[in-house]
Amino acid sequence: MTAYLLRRGGQSVVVIIGVMILTFILLHMEPGSVARSVLGLKATPARVAIFDKDYGLNKPLYQQFILYVKQLFQGNFGISYQLQQPVASLIAQRLPRDAILLGLSTLLALVIGVPTGIYQALRHNLLADDLLAGTWFTLYSAPDFMEALLLIALLCVQFHILPPAFPGGVTSVAGLFENWPALILPVAVLSINSVAGFSQYARSTALQTLAEDYIRVARAKGLPERLVVTRHVLRNSLLPVITILGLSLPDIVAGAVIAEAVFNFPGMGLLFWQSALAHDYPVMLGGTLIIGVATVIGNLAADVAYSVLDPRIRYGST
Amino acid sequence: MRRVLAVAGMLALTVAAAACGGTPAKVGSGSATHGKMVRGGTVTVAEPSGASPNDIFPLEPATNSNGYNTNLTMGEWPFLVYVGYGSKSVVNPQESLYSSLTWSHNDSVITIVLKPWKWSDGAPVTSRDFTFVYNLLKANYNDWLGYNPGLFPEDVTKVATPNAHTVVITLNRSYNPAFYTDDELAFVPLLPQHAWDRTSLTGKVGNYDETTAGAKAVWNFLQKQGSDMATFDTSPLWKVVDGPWKLASFQSDGYYVWVPNKNYSGPDKPVLSKVIFTPFTTDAAEMDTLRSGTSLSVAGLPLNDVGQIGELESEGYAVASVPTPGVAEIVPNLWNPVNGPLLRQLYIRQVLEYLINRKQIVTQAFHGYADPGNGPVPVTYGQQWASPLEKAGGPYPYSPSKAAALLRAHGWKVVPNGTDTCLRPGTAAADCGAGITAGEKLQFQLLYASGSSYFDQMNAAIQTSEAQDGVKIVLKAEPFNTLVATTGTCNAQSHPKSTCNWQLQQFGYVPYSLDPSGAGIFNTDAINNYGGYSEPKMDQLINATEYGSSPSAFYAYEDYAAQQLPWLWLPNQDSVVVYRKNLAGVVPASPFDFTLNPEVWYYTSSAK
Repeated sequence: MTAYLLRRGGQSVVVIIGVMILTFILLHMEPGSVARSVLGLKATPARVAIFDKDYGLNKPLYQQFILYVKQLFQGNFGISYQLQQPVASLIAQRLPRDAILLGLSTLLALVIGVPTGIYQALRHNLLADDLLAGTWFTLYSAPDFMEALLLIALLCVQFHILPPAFPGGVTSVAGLFENWPALILPVAVLSINSVAGFSQYARSTALQTLAEDYIRVARAKGLPERLVVTRHVLRNSLLPVITILGLSLPDIVAGAVIAEAVFNFPGMGLLFWQSALAHDYPVMLGGTLIIGVATVIGNLAADVAYSVLDPRIRYGST
Repeated sequence: MRRVLAVAGMLALTVAAAACGGTPAKVGSGSATHGKMVRGGTVTVAEPSGASPNDIFPLEPATNSNGYNTNLTMGEWPFLVYVGYGSKSVVNPQESLYSSLTWSHNDSVITIVLKPWKWSDGAPVTSRDFTFVYNLLKANYNDWLGYNPGLFPEDVTKVATPNAHTVVITLNRSYNPAFYTDDELAFVPLLPQHAWDRTSLTGKVGNYDETTAGAKAVWNFLQKQGSDMATFDTSPLWKVVDGPWKLASFQSDGYYVWVPNKNYSGPDKPVLSKVIFTPFTTDAAEMDTLRSGTSLSVAGLPLNDVGQIGELESEGYAVASVPTPGVAEIVPNLWNPVNGPLLRQLYIRQVLEYLINRKQIVTQAFHGYADPGNGPVPVTYGQQWASPLEKAGGPYPYSPSKAAALLRAHGWKVVPNGTDTCLRPGTAAADCGAGITAGEKLQFQLLYASGSSYFDQMNAAIQTSEAQDGVKIVLKAEPFNTLVATTGTCNAQSHPKSTCNWQLQQFGYVPYSLDPSGAGIFNTDAINNYGGYSEPKMDQLINATEYGSSPSAFYAYEDYAAQQLPWLWLPNQDSVVVYRKNLAGVVPASPFDFTLNPEVWYYTSSAK
C-alpha cells in the first residue's frame, strides 16, 4: 500500500506540473492585452508599460513561468491584477466558505440519496420506486438557478421566512454559522441536484448486490432483513458513491458559481469566473493549481477508501 | 481632459433637504420626506455588483483602475473643490475646502485661501497639506491614476504658501478658470502632511516630500499601505481624516462601516450614527434582498428591474432617478482597414445617426430613465451647458426619409431591409466618396459589451431601424474586458490590424467631470478618441473652451461636435435609486458626487 501511495503521489506531481504548464501556456495564448483588460479603455501606452513592468509581463514567457514557479515554492501565488490582493489570500478567504457550503450540501445529498436509493432497490419496480425516481429526476433536470429563484420568490419574498442572500462582511467560517439561516437555501438548492446522482448510483449497485449469492445465503441463514441491508447491501452500495465523492472534491474547491451569484455568497466559483473575464492570470493559475491538487487527492482518497470498504481490493500487488 | 475616476452608478448621489435642524450646505430644492429629524440610526447601503473598493490611499496608483475606491475615500478626504449642490451641477463653495479661489495674471495664477478646518486628530488643515499633495504628485504623477498629460501637476510652475492658509499656484499658461476649477481642482484632495509624511509606520514624520527621492519613498510607502486591505480599519494613517466620516470597519469583500468624524469642521455634521456599505455579487441578489424587505436602506435599482418599482414602493421604498454625467456613444473606427473609408464620410455617419430612433430607445430599452443623447452634452444634467440646438433635439433627429435621401444623393442604391450598394464611386459631391468602390456594401459590425439586457435591446433596436434604409448592422456582444483587451485606439498614424479590426463599438459612456468639455475626447490624439477622429477646427474649438474664457466658445464647440459626429450619439442611462421612505436627504440628488453623502441623511420617524 505504501509503495502504491508513493507511486500515485509521484504520478500526481507530474500531473499537477503538466496541468500548470498547460494552463500557463493556454492563458498566455489568449488574445488581447492583459493590461488593457485590467486598466480599461484609458490604458495609455505609459500605463500599460507600468503595468507590464510591475507584473513582469514584459519578460519572455519562459521567464514569466520560471518566476511563477519560484514564487509558488515560496508559497506565493502572485497578486490578482483585478482585485489587487494576494491570490493566496483570496483563495484562503473563499475556499473554506465553499468547503462549508458545498461540503454541507454534499453531505445532505448523501444522507438523503443513499438511503433512498437502497430503499428504491428494495422496492424495485413498485410505486415507491417509481415515485422517488420521478421526483429525483424532475429535480435533477431543473436548472439550479431556477430552483433557487423559485425558492427565493416563495420563502423570502412572499413569506419572509428566510433571508434571500448572504449578508456582506461575513468573511470567516464562524461568521457563516452565525448567519446559518442564510445557508439554508443555498445548501438546499445545491443538494437537490446531487441527490438524484447519489440515489441512482446507490439504487443500481444495491440491485446488483441484492442479486448476489451471499445475500441469498445471508437471508437463508435467517439473518434479519435489517441486518442484510445494513451489513451487506449498504456497504457494497457505497462503493460507487465513494467514486462520486472523490470526484466531488475538485467541485467543492471550484465552487458553485450560480449559487454564489444568486445567494450573494462570494466563493471560488465567482472568483474564477470574474478572473476569467478579466484576464486575471494569477487567480486563474492559482485556482487551476488548487483544483488540480484537489482532483488528484480526491482520486487517491477514493482509491484508498475502496480498499477499506472492500477487503478484496488490494493495491500495490499484482 | 477627462479624469479617469469612474462613477459608481447609483452612488452618484448628492443630498439635500432638511425639514428641520437648519439648512445643510448641500440643500437643493425641496425634500422628498418630511417629518421630525431623529438623531442617530443606521443606514445600510448596497454596493452594486463589482463595486467594492480595494485601495484607501486617495491618490490611487495608475495600475488600479477601480473607480469605486473614490466612494470609500471621498467621505474621509474630500476634494478641495466640492461639486454638486442639491440637484444642481455646480461647484458648491460651502462644502469645498477653500474660502476663496481667485484667478489672476491673465488666468494663469490661482490664489486659494483655505477654510480653518481641522483634521480629526485636532491638527489644523493648512497650506502645507496642499504642498504635500503637490510634492507627492509632482514626483509620481506617472503612477497616479488621476494624471492627465499636460495638466495638474505637470502644468504647475510654482506653488507658494505665503501663510498657513493660503496657496498660490502658478500655471504654465492661461486657462479657462471654470474648466480648471471644475475638472482639475475638483479632483485634488488635501492630505494630512503632519501624519502621512513618513516612509514607515514606525518612523518619524518629517518633510520627506520636499525632495524628489523623499516624495517617491513616501509615495511608495503610502501606496503599499493603501492597498493593504487587512489594515484599512486599523492603520493609524487612515484614522486622520478631514471629511465627515471615519472608517470604523472594513472587510476584504468590500463591506465597510462609516461612523461620524466627531471633529469634522464642515457645515453638515452627520446625523446618522453609522452607515454600512454591503456588497452584492449580482444585481439579482441585491434585488431579492430589496424585495424581501429586509435590511437595505438605500440601493441602486438596475434598469432591468424598474418594472418592480411598484412592489418596492409597497415595501416602504421611494424611488428617484439621477442623470449620469457623461456621453453615451457608438464609436466609429475611421481607420478600420475594411470600411474606414465609409465611416470617414460625414454623410455616412449622418445616415447612421438619422436611423437611430433615440426616443424609442429611451422609452423601451431604458424605460424612460435616460438622457436622449442629442449630442455630446447631456441635456438632463447640465442645462447651463446644453446648447439650444441640443435642447431642440440635436441636429439629427430620427428620420429614415432624410437618411435615404442622403444615400441616394451620394450615389447609393437603397434597398430597404436588404443591403445598400454604392452605384457611383468617386469623390465628386454626388459620389459615394474617397476609397469607396463600386458595388461596396453598406454594412458594419457593431461590437458591444455583453451582460446588460438594456444594451441588448438598444442595439437590437438600432439594428432594426438601420435596416429600414438598407444599412446592415451585424451585432457582436462580448465581455467588456475581452473587448477592451482586443480593441485599441486607432488613428491615421497607427491602426494595426490586430487591434483596429473593429468597425463600430459601444461600451457604455465616457464620464464627464463637471465641465463637459470635449478636451480629452474629440481632439486629435485625445485619450478617449478611440476611433481616430481628427479635425483642426474641432481642436481649435475645444482649445477655446479649455484655455479661453469666451462664454460662447462652449456652444460653438458643442454644436460643431454634435453636427460632425466624431461619435454616434446615443441615449445615456440614468441612475435609479431606491431608499427608505422615512430616510430624508437622499433627494434631490446631484449627478456629481463620487460617493454617497449620508452626512445630511436622517430618519424622520422612530424606525431606524
